[in-house]
Amino acid sequence: MVTLVGMASGYEKGIGKQLDAVGIDVVVSNMSGGIMPKTFDESLQEKVAALPRVAETTTVLMRMMSVEDAPIMMISGREWGGFIWDQMKVLEGRMLKDGSEKAVVLGTLAAELLRKKVGDTVQIEVEELPVVGIVDGRSMVENGTIFLSLQVMQEISGEEGKINFLDIRVPPNTSKAEIDQLCKDIKVIFPEGRAMVANEVVGTSQGFRVVRAMSWSTSLLAIIVGVLGVMNTMLMTVFERTHEIGILLAVGWRRRRIVYMVLCESALLGLLGGIVGVVLGVLGLITLGASPGIRGFLEPDINPKLMLIAIAIAVVVGVISGLYPAWRSSRLTPSLALQN
Amino acid sequence: MNLTLRTLLHAVFGTALLVSVAHAQEGALSARDLAAQLSNIIQDGSSVVRLKMDISKPSGGGKTVLQIQVKSQRTKSATDLVYQVLWPKDRKGESFLLHKSGGRAPGGAVFTPPDSLVPLTAARMTDGIFGSDLSYDDLAENFFAWGNQAIVGTETVDRVPCQILESKPGKGDGTSYVKVRSWIDIKRMVTLRVEKYAASGKLAKRIDTTRVSKDDTGRTIGSSFSLQRTGQDSVTEIEGSNSKHGMTFPATDFTPEALRTLK
Repeated sequence: MVTLVGMASGYEKGIGKQLDAVGIDVVVSNMSGGIMPKTFDESLQEKVAALPRVAETTTVLMRMMSVEDAPIMMISGREWGGFIWDQMKVLEGRMLKDGSEKAVVLGTLAAELLRKKVGDTVQIEVEELPVVGIVDGRSMVENGTIFLSLQVMQEISGEEGKINFLDIRVPPNTSKAEIDQLCKDIKVIFPEGRAMVANEVVGTSQGFRVVRAMSWSTSLLAIIVGVLGVMNTMLMTVFERTHEIGILLAVGWRRRRIVYMVLCESALLGLLGGIVGVVLGVLGLITLGASPGIRGFLEPDINPKLMLIAIAIAVVVGVISGLYPAWRSSRLTPSLALQN
Repeated sequence: MNLTLRTLLHAVFGTALLVSVAHAQEGALSARDLAAQLSNIIQDGSSVVRLKMDISKPSGGGKTVLQIQVKSQRTKSATDLVYQVLWPKDRKGESFLLHKSGGRAPGGAVFTPPDSLVPLTAARMTDGIFGSDLSYDDLAENFFAWGNQAIVGTETVDRVPCQILESKPGKGDGTSYVKVRSWIDIKRMVTLRVEKYAASGKLAKRIDTTRVSKDDTGRTIGSSFSLQRTGQDSVTEIEGSNSKHGMTFPATDFTPEALRTLK
């Protein structure tokens, strides 16, 4: 559960962090296509910029594709001069000179995955583009991305005039209600698309919902298997200790106390199992996060809240699993139990 | 039998009946109709697709990775394909043109930089493209359009129930294979496995779909494949990473001379 939910949550948080790092307040896209949205005409930018409560807009054409011998990665064509370039910190080389420069800058992880340094070239579609800089994008997703200007991206991908993201900044101190109104106004001029408050993008995306649902449903199956396992263990314990329980009943223990004892043992078993499980889960997360197919794409989310939830679930599983064995043990007759 | 148990049994049998009726409806598609539908899916007009091709040859050959651009124009009457290597640098520009129309044998040209442009003869049709396990005739022929189609069974492939469609060439369907079996996921209309049999009746080539996804038009398609030839230790993995349909190509893009330029 820790590994699965941690990976799914890391995926969500990675995107969330990216939007935060870039300073986007509202994202406009046509998410009906799944994880990567469909393209739409860049002329929408002008109409959106004219709306009240819009401080800045910028456009992006993003693609996920395999580059050279690396697995599928993000290639982001960004409007030159747009605010989403501002958060990047150049670590090596330089930034693009202008929007028409046929060159790329690489996030640190993208550079590592492609084994590229400043001065090398990267083949994107039919173009061989020089790497002019390596940047820290301040989030895992940004660092795993290849950046180039929107104009060049549109040209080499044959999508002139097309974008698939329109990012918006609102003036400081804009209220939530005003941002919601802005999203409604955008919906009017772009009915096939959707404007979403940046921190809600992850929560409302169909792709993310599926990932989240799958990780939790798989975890639920694991929990059910866990219940059966602990119940079996506790039943065996009760059977093996029939004689002992008989003595306890014979010396005056109340049935309620026997139930309490079995439930406590069961809960303790759940707690210990939960702690060991969390440790193994965290190790699994670290291993998965470092594996070649995931590294650079997903930052596993090792968060204390998830660990506590996992341990709490394990304790609850322990208690639920102990209910039947506890009931069985409390129904024992002292004389019969002693004969056993 | 008490009422609750009887209700439960009714529910179970009712559901089973519904499932079998639904299954029967799915299975009601005749082999000819199924093949025709699949053939129509293949003839998807003009498109540009980006592929990553991994050719692994464990016995000493190592691994070759190629990035390839595919331009295609497929209609009922003709197929035109241009495959061009984009990466690695030392093979950039290697390309070929493949043309097939009606019942005629496929033809085309192969270009190797800097200046070698040779015709693609019938004798070379069974050669692997760019040294892979995928041959020119694999690309040119559309076995779903062959004269004889039959559903020969059902099988589950990767937990997906599939119908097995057997295609045999008729007169004029020039091919080196005697039959091709395809495992079709009827619900998504996706081919999950293809087996091609040589004239000897033995399995010659097997193509497994390793990933299914939606293309730019929203259609569900196989997007990654693994190919293996019987008796060969090499494996070719093909991973599609981008596709664009509804393209308009100038007629000159599908001529041998166009292979000299990468665009």
